[in-house]
Amino acid sequence: MFAMSYKIQRYVILIAFLALPLLLLAVFSFYPALYLAWLSLTSWDGYSPKKAWIGFGNYKEIFTNADMFKVLSHNFVYFMGGIVQNLAALSFAVLLNSRLRGRNAFRVLLFLPYIMNSVAIAYMFTYVYDAQNGSLNALLTSVGLQSWIRSWLGDAAIVNYSLAFISAWKFMGFNMVIYLGALQSIPGDLYEAAKIDGAGPFKSFLCITWPSVIKIVELSMLLTVSGALEVFDLPFVMTKGGPAGSSQTFVTQTVETAFNFSNYGLASAMGMVLLLIVVLVIFVQRKLLLRGED
Amino acid sequence: MNKKQLISAMAVLGLAMTMAAGCGSNNGSNEGTAATSGNTPDNGAATAAADNAATTNAATTNAAASEEPAAPKIAGKIVFTTNRTDLVDTELKSYAAKFHEKYPDATVEIEAIKDYDQTTKIRMASNELADISLIPGTVKNSDLPTFYQPLDDLGLNDRIYFKDNRSQDGKLYGISSGSAAMGVTFNKKAFAQAGIAEAPKTLDEFYADAEKLKAAGIIPLATNFKDKWPLYGWDQEAFIFADDPTLHNTMATQDEPFAVDGPHWQAFSILKKMVDGGYVEKDLMSTNWEGSKKDVASGKIAMFLLGNWVVPQVVDNGAAAEDVGFFPLPLDNSGEAKVVLASDYYYGIDKNSENPETAKAFLKFLIEESGYDDYAGFIPVLKDKKPKLAQLNEFMATNPKVIEMSAENDDYLAIANKMQFDTSAFAQDAITGKDMKTVFETYNKKWKDAKASLGK
Repeated sequence: MFAMSYKIQRYVILIAFLALPLLLLAVFSFYPALYLAWLSLTSWDGYSPKKAWIGFGNYKEIFTNADMFKVLSHNFVYFMGGIVQNLAALSFAVLLNSRLRGRNAFRVLLFLPYIMNSVAIAYMFTYVYDAQNGSLNALLTSVGLQSWIRSWLGDAAIVNYSLAFISAWKFMGFNMVIYLGALQSIPGDLYEAAKIDGAGPFKSFLCITWPSVIKIVELSMLLTVSGALEVFDLPFVMTKGGPAGSSQTFVTQTVETAFNFSNYGLASAMGMVLLLIVVLVIFVQRKLLLRGED
Repeated sequence: MNKKQLISAMAVLGLAMTMAAGCGSNNGSNEGTAATSGNTPDNGAATAAADNAATTNAATTNAAASEEPAAPKIAGKIVFTTNRTDLVDTELKSYAAKFHEKYPDATVEIEAIKDYDQTTKIRMASNELADISLIPGTVKNSDLPTFYQPLDDLGLNDRIYFKDNRSQDGKLYGISSGSAAMGVTFNKKAFAQAGIAEAPKTLDEFYADAEKLKAAGIIPLATNFKDKWPLYGWDQEAFIFADDPTLHNTMATQDEPFAVDGPHWQAFSILKKMVDGGYVEKDLMSTNWEGSKKDVASGKIAMFLLGNWVVPQVVDNGAAAEDVGFFPLPLDNSGEAKVVLASDYYYGIDKNSENPETAKAFLKFLIEESGYDDYAGFIPVLKDKKPKLAQLNEFMATNPKVIEMSAENDDYLAIANKMQFDTSAFAQDAITGKDMKTVFETYNKKWKDAKASLGK
């Protein structure tokens, strides 16, 4: 086999390296997705052998039932949290990219939440938010802000903000590291030249930093939007969608439909609709953010 | 690229392949915890074969006498899946050991599954049901013959409660693992501390006692609101208000079952009054089920409304058995005790089981000999067996009016699944909503729509 020409060797290597990831992708991603699309056209209950074909009945039900989309307003809170998270990440990245004593320690500290397990974080925050013994309310008491004390997870009006804060806290470090990478790829002499020309820090951020990281901002926003639409772990672990459904998200609702109410067909259709929403949002976002570019 | 590079590339590829293969072989192992008792099946089969060979001649003469009903051989390995993750390595393991002692050729592997219903339904869909398992509550009776074997030949038909609940086309497919009475489990010491001499008999007394407990700094009632499922008792109390053991099935024939002052309204009103009066946990979203058992045991919380199965669990959490009492929730001021009995999970045997006779023998063993019903605090499914739980006997001695909840029929399950009706979520909505009337109207509308769309 060592008599192969360079060209053939190249193909062998390419195919050999690609075969495995493609196979895994096909088995664990494409096949389930296609199967999901097929299930969404049936009224399968999740266990019986018969999967009755009902055409677009499930989709019709989703789009005629206003309750299905009401929960998207809860997802929107996570999206707002995501924007704040990105702003904070960019600020920290700019700050920690400058010559600052102990900046590596700060970078590690801010990145740490991201590598922690989501479920562990959720458990941790149930103690922070606990209305009677929680550390957050204890902190407020000790600094004399008793009037701010709330039932952070029990109040339907604020539960989503409480949860969105956790997700912003967790993913901020990740965004920051991406921004840091982008910032470090900007040559330092650009800033020096700008300084000589009399540009202040704000001006050089606007004219040098921002245009250089705009692509990364777009990527981050993409992750934020799809992340906000697909929030699942925090409400599932911490509130079970409560109190009385006020922290349900689209995905927790889908899971309930499938597993608690034996309606896999409808749940599959909800999954497909979510996929379409994500694609649509990303499409619109690209059009908006990349106006004038190709 | 030279040869050396090619070789190293192939080596890396080979490594990747073996890693992937490693992942693949792990997929087959079970996520639950498993406890095997006695010999491995191979050993059992080997000894059985040896025994047979040695005693063939001797046995032939005796066989006719000992195996009168031509009983098939109880041998081989069976798997039993249960929801009791807390008991799999202790109590349940001892049942498997005892069964193995009784039938040395048979071994039982017990597997406890978290999220029992969901996981079991997935196994049903992929034809991997364990030989003997608990039937998930949301499986319709009309689907039973597809997955389970008829159990009429066990000879238990005339001796058990809840026989008709899991029957289809005149055949029995599921046998109840035991039943529980719905009532208030309370800490007698906490009551004494608040100056309450005996359990309340009327609704007014119940509220007055709650007030006394609150004044004594004890949380009167644990709702376990956050975990949602512990609110299921309030739906069961509605059965008593309706005086209808088939309330859910009756609902399936009505367009607007949730009337103001109807059964659910009356039951939820009691809960709402408890919540509004501050007689429950201070923060409903910070409640913790496991913690609440400890709190009731220590007297920090005085009461639960749950099945009587919670009594042994409170004792396990540190209360002295004589300090834990049980009384029916008084629903009005008449003083007449009424109680609803509901069956726990039903045992079923896989239609495709390889050792159905062994599975049936183990099922019979579980019901007649294991003592699981006593251990779990259930009322035994066998009519001639008395419950062992002292609190329950004390309670039954008062001769309360008993309503035996019957199984939900396919119509009810279809409508409930369609409108995504969860009785505990309904209770949550009713007590957190500003206005219970609006909540009930919404539920009526959803019910009507779901029923109409199913054409029922």
